[in-house]
Amino acid sequence: MLWLWVLVGVLALLVVFLVWGYNRLVRLRNEADTGWANIDVQLQRRADLIPNLVEAVRGYAAHERGVFEEVTKARVALRDAGSPGAAAEANDVLSAALGRLFAVAEAYPDLQASENFLRLQEDLTDTEDKISAARRYYNATVMRFNTAIQSIPWLLVARPLGFRDKEFFSAEGDVSAPEVSFSTAT
Amino acid sequence: MTLQEQIRANRLRSGIVVFGFVLLLVVLAGIVGYVLDVSLGIAALIFAVLYGLIAIVRSRSMIARLTHAEPLGPDELRPLRRLLENVSIGAGLPVTPELRVVDDAAPNAFAAGLRPERSYVGVTTGLLRTMPKRELEAVLAHEVAHVRNRDTYLMTMATVFAGVIAVIADIGFRSLAYGGRSRKAGVLVVVLAVIGFVLAPYAALLLRMSLSRRREYLADAGAAEILNDPEAMALALRRLELDSTSIRYADASTAHLWVESPTDRVESERPGVLAISGLFNTHPPLGARIEALEQAGGFRLPERLPADPPFAAEMGMPAGSASRAFGSIMGEP
Repeated sequence: MLWLWVLVGVLALLVVFLVWGYNRLVRLRNEADTGWANIDVQLQRRADLIPNLVEAVRGYAAHERGVFEEVTKARVALRDAGSPGAAAEANDVLSAALGRLFAVAEAYPDLQASENFLRLQEDLTDTEDKISAARRYYNATVMRFNTAIQSIPWLLVARPLGFRDKEFFSAEGDVSAPEVSFSTAT
Repeated sequence: MTLQEQIRANRLRSGIVVFGFVLLLVVLAGIVGYVLDVSLGIAALIFAVLYGLIAIVRSRSMIARLTHAEPLGPDELRPLRRLLENVSIGAGLPVTPELRVVDDAAPNAFAAGLRPERSYVGVTTGLLRTMPKRELEAVLAHEVAHVRNRDTYLMTMATVFAGVIAVIADIGFRSLAYGGRSRKAGVLVVVLAVIGFVLAPYAALLLRMSLSRRREYLADAGAAEILNDPEAMALALRRLELDSTSIRYADASTAHLWVESPTDRVESERPGVLAISGLFNTHPPLGARIEALEQAGGFRLPERLPADPPFAAEMGMPAGSASRAFGSIMGEP
């Protein structure tokens, strides 16, 4: 009879281990999801600032239409980005477009001096800092989650249980980034 | 260890601390009841529980008063507030802790509050005038790591219980000294009781200090992780090491809260038990903390600190004597 009890004991331990491990994976996934939500809030905030900024610059430099279009397009692309990697990419495109917008604004001292413009510029810088802070946290949580589901024994059960690798919020390291296509530019 | 696991480990530790202190408390009250009088023992216990509850409820404002940390208006020191927000986001805190400023020339900072949502971070004006942005951010990250790790909770509990035990031991000691003993208690028991009354507060203090020292290393590591920049934290610690201003409102009861121990000088001047060794220090020596960061991050600090302008200058905070400049920030004459 002894072996039966040993068997029961081992099985019980196994169940405890599995429950603990599963809960840990869920916890890690939730951490990463929260991390993503943090980035999303800041990206949203950044996107919300842009129409005001474009309006402010347009008031002084109405003829610089190319730059406005570029910024607006980049903003829409960021809003429609479906995955963290794509969002990071779109965010970088937006940063570049904003860089050109601010370069245009340099030429208008009145604009540079306007309270509204300065405030918007400050808010944008702040949002960018916050995005990079949120990125650090999110990427750290993704790293922990991915490591957890890629290590033995969780490697064997993670996929069937619906745990998939998460994407980092970074444009450079993203292999699956879509090829830039010039054919759509008419 | 992931963040959540660390937090849970800390909660467990808090539980053990609370349990240990409750045990110590009951034993003390038992001694009082046995050696002196049963009703006195019960009264002491009730008093201790009430004292503890009030202290826990009032801890937030009490710490603010002891440290002279002033809340800021909505538009004051916005760049600093933003820095704190960014660090909190980097730490994954759901809410940014409130920012408070201590008008003091010594560079230092602390965190307090029982729950992350209700906690606050205090920085001295001296810190703002000493640290460039990168290092100031590291100090803020250190404090935010304390909040995130629930150290503030653990340490508040430990402080309150240490205080309660000191009070009970004092009651027992005094009653024994002035009131005499009752009934059956023999000489040996009384002697043991006296020893217990004398040692209990030190045991509580020792536990509190040892807890707080381990937390400092963890918070340093947490800050390095939050910013992804262990060197910034090490640089900040080195700058604190080189600074010799001591804080005006140094107080043994809040010493464990600060990023750098504010009471070293105070304690070394005190004769008796406290001066003996590092046993009762709330913080490990700064050199050891810098070394731990250097090892973890795989770098060596440069001989000279970077000569970047302090954040106060970058923010356009008025120069001059700490209190007068601060008064103008606070909108006071």
